[in-house]
Amino acid sequence: MAAMMQPQIILLKEGTDTSQGKAQLVSNINACTAVADVVRSTLGPRGMDKLIHDDKGTVTISNDGATIMKLLDIVHPAAKILVDIAKSQDSEVGDGTTTVVLLAAEFLREAKPFIEDGVHPQNLIRSFRNASYKAIQKVKELAKSIEGQSLEEKKRLLSKCAATTLSSKLIGGEKEFFASMVVDAVGAIGDGDRLNMIGIKKVPGGTMRDSFLVNGVAFKKTFSYAGFEQQPKKFLNPKILLLNIELELKSEKENAEIRLSDPSQYQSIVDAEWNIIYDKLDKCVQSGAKVVLSRLAIGDLATQYFADRDIFCAGRVAEEDLLRVAAATGGTVQTSVNNVVDEVLGTCEHFEERQVGNERFNIFSGCPSGRTATIVLRGGADQFIEEAERSLHDAIMIVRRATKNSTVVAGGGAIDMEISKYLRQESRAIAGKSQFFINSYAKALEVIPRQLCDNAGFDATDVLNKLRQKHALPTGEGAPYGVDINTGGIADSFANFVWEPAVVKINAINAATEAACLILSVDETVKNPKRSGIRERRAR
Amino acid sequence: MALAFDEFGRPFILLRQQEEKSRLRGLDAQKANVSAGKAVARILRTSLGPKGMDKMLQSPDANDGATILEQMDVDNQIAKLMVELSRSQDYEIGDGTTGVVVMAGSLLEQAEKLLERGIHPIRIAEGYEMASRIAVEHLERIAQKFEFGLNDLEPLVQTCMTTLNSKMVNRCKRRLAEIAVKAVLAVADLERKDVNLDLIKVEGKVGGRLEDTELIYGITVDKDMSHPQMPKRIENAKIAILTCPFEPPKPKTKHKVDIDTVEKFQTLRQQEQKYFDDMVQKCKDVGATLVICQWGFDDEANHLLMHRNLPAVRWVGGVELELIAIATGGRIVPRFQELTPEKLGKAGLVREKSFGTTQDRMLYIEHCANSRAVTIFIRGGNKMMIEETKRSIHDALCVARNLIRNNSIVYGGGAAEIACSIAVDAAADRYPGVEQYAIRAFADALDAIPMALAENSGLQPIETLSAVKNQQIRENNPNCGIDCNDVGTNDMREQNVFETLIGKQQQILLATQVVKMILKIDDVISPSEY
Repeated sequence: MAAMMQPQIILLKEGTDTSQGKAQLVSNINACTAVADVVRSTLGPRGMDKLIHDDKGTVTISNDGATIMKLLDIVHPAAKILVDIAKSQDSEVGDGTTTVVLLAAEFLREAKPFIEDGVHPQNLIRSFRNASYKAIQKVKELAKSIEGQSLEEKKRLLSKCAATTLSSKLIGGEKEFFASMVVDAVGAIGDGDRLNMIGIKKVPGGTMRDSFLVNGVAFKKTFSYAGFEQQPKKFLNPKILLLNIELELKSEKENAEIRLSDPSQYQSIVDAEWNIIYDKLDKCVQSGAKVVLSRLAIGDLATQYFADRDIFCAGRVAEEDLLRVAAATGGTVQTSVNNVVDEVLGTCEHFEERQVGNERFNIFSGCPSGRTATIVLRGGADQFIEEAERSLHDAIMIVRRATKNSTVVAGGGAIDMEISKYLRQESRAIAGKSQFFINSYAKALEVIPRQLCDNAGFDATDVLNKLRQKHALPTGEGAPYGVDINTGGIADSFANFVWEPAVVKINAINAATEAACLILSVDETVKNPKRSGIRERRAR
Repeated sequence: MALAFDEFGRPFILLRQQEEKSRLRGLDAQKANVSAGKAVARILRTSLGPKGMDKMLQSPDANDGATILEQMDVDNQIAKLMVELSRSQDYEIGDGTTGVVVMAGSLLEQAEKLLERGIHPIRIAEGYEMASRIAVEHLERIAQKFEFGLNDLEPLVQTCMTTLNSKMVNRCKRRLAEIAVKAVLAVADLERKDVNLDLIKVEGKVGGRLEDTELIYGITVDKDMSHPQMPKRIENAKIAILTCPFEPPKPKTKHKVDIDTVEKFQTLRQQEQKYFDDMVQKCKDVGATLVICQWGFDDEANHLLMHRNLPAVRWVGGVELELIAIATGGRIVPRFQELTPEKLGKAGLVREKSFGTTQDRMLYIEHCANSRAVTIFIRGGNKMMIEETKRSIHDALCVARNLIRNNSIVYGGGAAEIACSIAVDAAADRYPGVEQYAIRAFADALDAIPMALAENSGLQPIETLSAVKNQQIRENNPNCGIDCNDVGTNDMREQNVFETLIGKQQQILLATQVVKMILKIDDVISPSEY
């Protein structure tokens, strides 16, 4: 009775929603699995796409885990962690974003019965960390290096990796075509972290087969003034002048004002202004350049002046394009036309304005430094090209990654099965609860081949059992066996060139384990209602 | 839309405004998407072929697939994809925009049946892709190179006529086709196989008959002489093309002239007059007999020009100015000081033409030094007619351009589709696995175009198609098609119905691509307002 009379102690503001303990943990796990269910079906070569239509009316069709997670606009605090790991996988390695979400959710799902049975989460966390460490060691051990091969051979191998990434995407039908394109593009920029040196230009129309790689720079014809069509549109070995100034007849200073007392002075002022611009133009011509590009406007006067002297010019070139031209042709962007020496002029073997679909493109090819590449993507619909661009981005990242740490593992779920087997074996040597947990971790890894089968409409249990048997062979010859997506059986993924860079797997296992551990370690959520109310009001 | 529930049955709030979003997934999503795509194709089906019907939309009417779809303002996302499909055919090829949508629609229809049988959508898509490859290769095999020279335009004209057949303007298709071919050849760079369609200007004016449509080796400008008393006809004109106004030059910097005495004002006035005088004199000196100016000039200058007998045109737009410069071989001159005799453009004849009883006048610049800029001038009874003619001419121009780029052709009237269908069907048996079904379905889908052609022409679709198919196999002749115009022969070679190879290949590839994209979607998440 006395206890009931005691006044209630109010710690938190009224209306605060707190939930804690085991129930909260389980509910978080459920939320994460629900999110993973959304992206589940996008995995693998038979993975499907999602069409997401946001309230602003933009439509995205995508197969990329990170893109879908981002567009889903998830607000659940625990589930948000999955979005973050997908993002981090995307920025770290560029591919495997679906894999990472699936793995994290599966780890949690495996952990759920233990939590319900009253196992302390920290126990689970420790074992999972342990298992992930072992798994990564194993991946490193199993990985095959492609180092030391000839350049030709290496290119071939890299394109296999790119093809594996692309096989799940919309452009999977032409994966060889795009894979070799991506490898060439990455090869062109060399090593160095200048990913922006690969330009991707999108031109609606045509089929994807019409896409092409320019070993240099290509950009859409800029806005042009009268007189432009009279300029020559094709040069061999031209000198290229890159500018960052306006070539237009205009007032030199913004707020200057001229006072004339004698009308006859009028002409001299006008002449002076004309002389300034003519002087600039003359210097451009004097430099010997045949192509003049500027980030700022090139006016009609300049256009006609250049046309008279058989020079090609383009104004308002986007900055990134201009920088790419500079890198490719070996020129330097000038902020003045004074003192233009030969060294700052770029050059390329071939310059041409060409029709691509409905647009005209300026194409610089055969550049001396060869440090840039441009992929011109074609496709039947805007969304199609958008998705193709995302897929190519993934492939580019993969190839770059594979070039840097040149080790690959067998895909198609083979590596996951092998790690799973290895962990099961290891776990038997452990006395104590941890054996259970590591075993369940191992089981969770099997989600990748299982999902591959499910998406392709195969009997997952059947295929998985075949795989387990192969991998359990004592000789170890079954290690590279994975799901054969064409027949519904199993096949040697390594021999079939279903390859992934080892770093993708390592990062995926790492990120997924960390996310799972983080969610497992949370046992209380406090939600302050007022604050979120303010935020919502602000959002409106 | 609720994604999940916790153990107490409360839904998780996973997504922002979760309740307001709707989600469609799995087979339902695919079926909904497929039927949306089919619905669009059904609308266009009736406008295929020479006996195809037109659509009237509030705003211009059209028979051109891309135009109809664009005007329909489609809301459904999948339907929008179909719109983009036909648009991209339009961009790339410029013709066959209806065919590509009908084709995609029938591919979807076939896919629906396969989905019901439980075949995995991606396997269907892959089968389609294989089949499209077979079809494209087969087209390559049955395609024929055809030769045309500058003197022998007949084959080109015939192909353009096939395109114009289905349009509203088909009553004078011969004339329009000839115009289109001549126009393209005039601007074509046959060595580089490049045709810049920007150099062909298509103009229209209400009035007259469609037959009065003409090709002008030169430029028309919708302007008249600046002074009504100026001569209306100038032979062997030398044209000064100016981008500076006939007025005293102004510095671009802000300026102010202080006039404090009467004398100063007088000098200013005199100087102004002198400017005008000098300008006109300068033009006269270099020998110009016509001045075309991008800007205006005030009455004083106008009067002076009139007085000195120098005809002038003012307010000519930048694009026209450029075309005039190209056509007449002149240079655009930015200020009077730079005017030299070499920079003048030359035209054999410049004349002003007025139309009917209206006050409308246009300026024709003809017999130019360089005929690489031409104008097609369309006449017609009403605005709708002219707009439709413009679109039809555009299609014909594109066809001619494609032929110059690649001179392979296939036979129209559904002949190519039937031939592909037979080839694909035969090839299907060689594929093991589920894809075989999809490949066969592709062959069926290819039949949709000849079927629609026959239906639109009032023939019995199934009987006609099977008869033609039979004939193709029996005679081993891939040129048999649907005899839409009731000429009496099925051989499209005799009927002279051609289509470009690249156009047809593009149709098949694009349709397959979009169908694959639609089939691959299994989850549609959208805000609920839709």
